[in-house]
Amino acid sequence: MMTMSNFPLAIIFVLGAMLLPVLPRRARSWAYLVVVAIAFVFLLHLEAGATLTFPFLNYELVVCRVDRLSLAFGYVFVIMGFLGGVYGFHVKDTLQQVVALLYVGSSLGVVFAGDLFTLLVFWEIMAVSSVFLIWARRTPQSRRAGFRYLLVHAFGGSVLMAGVIWHMVSTGSILFNHFEGGIASYLILFSFALNAAVPPLNGWLPDAYPEGTVTGSVFLSAFTTKVAVYALARGFAGLELLMWAGAIMAVYGVVFAFLANDGRRLLAYHIISQVGYMVAGVGIGTKMGINGATAHAFAHILYKGLLFMGMGTVLYATGRSKLTELGGLVRSMWPVLILFMVGAFSISGVPLFSGFVSKSMVIYAAELEHQGIVVLLLNLASIGTFLSIGLKLPYFTWFGTDRNLKPEPVPPGMYVGMALTSAICIAIGVYPALLYNLLPFAVHYQPYTASHVIGTMQLLIFTGLAFWLVMKKLHAEATITLDTDWVYRRPSRLAYRVFSVEPARLFGKVEELSLRLAQFAVRLGANPPGYLIDTIRTARCAFFGTKKPAPEPDTFSPDRYRIPLGIMVLVVLLFLIILLAWDIIT
Amino acid sequence: MRRWMAVFISLLVIFVLLDLFLVIGEGHDGFPWSHIAGFFALFGFIGCLALIGIAKLLGHYWLERGEDYYHKNDDNE
Repeated sequence: MMTMSNFPLAIIFVLGAMLLPVLPRRARSWAYLVVVAIAFVFLLHLEAGATLTFPFLNYELVVCRVDRLSLAFGYVFVIMGFLGGVYGFHVKDTLQQVVALLYVGSSLGVVFAGDLFTLLVFWEIMAVSSVFLIWARRTPQSRRAGFRYLLVHAFGGSVLMAGVIWHMVSTGSILFNHFEGGIASYLILFSFALNAAVPPLNGWLPDAYPEGTVTGSVFLSAFTTKVAVYALARGFAGLELLMWAGAIMAVYGVVFAFLANDGRRLLAYHIISQVGYMVAGVGIGTKMGINGATAHAFAHILYKGLLFMGMGTVLYATGRSKLTELGGLVRSMWPVLILFMVGAFSISGVPLFSGFVSKSMVIYAAELEHQGIVVLLLNLASIGTFLSIGLKLPYFTWFGTDRNLKPEPVPPGMYVGMALTSAICIAIGVYPALLYNLLPFAVHYQPYTASHVIGTMQLLIFTGLAFWLVMKKLHAEATITLDTDWVYRRPSRLAYRVFSVEPARLFGKVEELSLRLAQFAVRLGANPPGYLIDTIRTARCAFFGTKKPAPEPDTFSPDRYRIPLGIMVLVVLLFLIILLAWDIIT
Repeated sequence: MRRWMAVFISLLVIFVLLDLFLVIGEGHDGFPWSHIAGFFALFGFIGCLALIGIAKLLGHYWLERGEDYYHKNDDNE
């Protein structure tokens, strides 16, 4: 029975996406927000423990399974869907609004999916809908990046499908719970890790996200990777491999972020870094670890959305996002700087901002398990985060070289969206119970202890000192950084040659050859004896070095090549003589 | 500017000094660095410089390429 307590939220978004294009253009932005608001009301009525099942072939599909883990992700997805809609209120592109609804809806579909088949369907809808947020920018770069994004996710989806089918066949169950190992679960782990952008499967993220539209990248930054974190937490909690992968990933992201020149690519690398904390939390797998991963996903979605909104606003106003082309915006765009810094302080884990209360849960979970190296790696990633987002990015965008940019006016909805998101980031930081009450397990953790606050402040202030010392020597460079997308981007040129250019040349050659053969046959057929005579004469002239006589006519005339009667008589006589001679000899 | 520097440096000193009292006071979790006052200050400072150095080295000698690295002739598509 479908009731309010087990209502699949994805239905609301799919209906909304179908309704939106038929509404008048001016009402669409409002309609988008109304759809998300309705979904939020339904979300409030969901009850932990409720399920909704449908019989399907020999299996039971669990299209909605509500528990505290899925609820926590559900809340933040709906909130972020709403904030993204407020930020993108000015957008008049129906395509973007429709696919944003589908993207948010399918993410919720995955989060509330209780079986692997439902998960797979929504997983694929997520990939297909999100790519339009990249293509909607309508530039050659975004077209190419979108295609690569789609191909990578189509591959991941196929691996997931293979894993799901294998799992179904080998265990006889399609329920989505903790996986117990075996090839099927490794295939599923691979596809989850691909969506979580765990190196070396991370190349697609910094490739595609900076190419999305101003509002599209805000959505992109929130959903795909965090849905994967949810899926990992559900299926692979406590896998030690993930703890190490997460810790390394956190540092990997900040190192690459430091090299990025595009502001939104820098932020994209920090998604990888921040998801590293969550993956590490999932890998630790204790109640504190899962709580930490969930809390950090919740906080991260909001502050990363805010950061993408900030850089998106700069891109909207100036048309630029590269650090080598930005600078000196503080006079004209200081309100954006303030809102951006709320996001920057949140992601850096400054006390009183949201990252401080969520990130530290993951680190604390590692401390409880006495994983000293993980603790140090995660703290190192914190340093890199503050360095790149708290210091370098704002320095090069709002200060640094003054490039006398004349920013265009920004729609008020963008400011409202950023302000609301900032308010939530600060609210969570100041009053962590807001967040902690939503977590899957009861929280026994207090972030605001003297030692924690002091340690964090030391870390941040001395990072600032180090940055200040080398600041004058740092300068953005107009380069791109190789990453694992090289593996399919660079050889794509070779593949293009092997599968497209070279076959085309081969076919061309064959065609030319057959044409020449046909021409030869035509000439030969038109005048066979003339051709023969010409060939013999040419060969003779070439051999003796004499002058070439006039060529034979193109067409055959029987009179010209008629053999004289005498020769025919001679041939017949010779034949008779040979016959006679043969008779005599034998 | 000088006043900002004064605030900044006094913050540096204050947080390290606070840590001294704390380490003597409780000596919290059992890691080798838990008993070093100002460990995170040192870690932040050295970690930051190390990250910049590693990133710059990696970028300079290996990873950084021209912006047209992947698409030199766009009309080929």
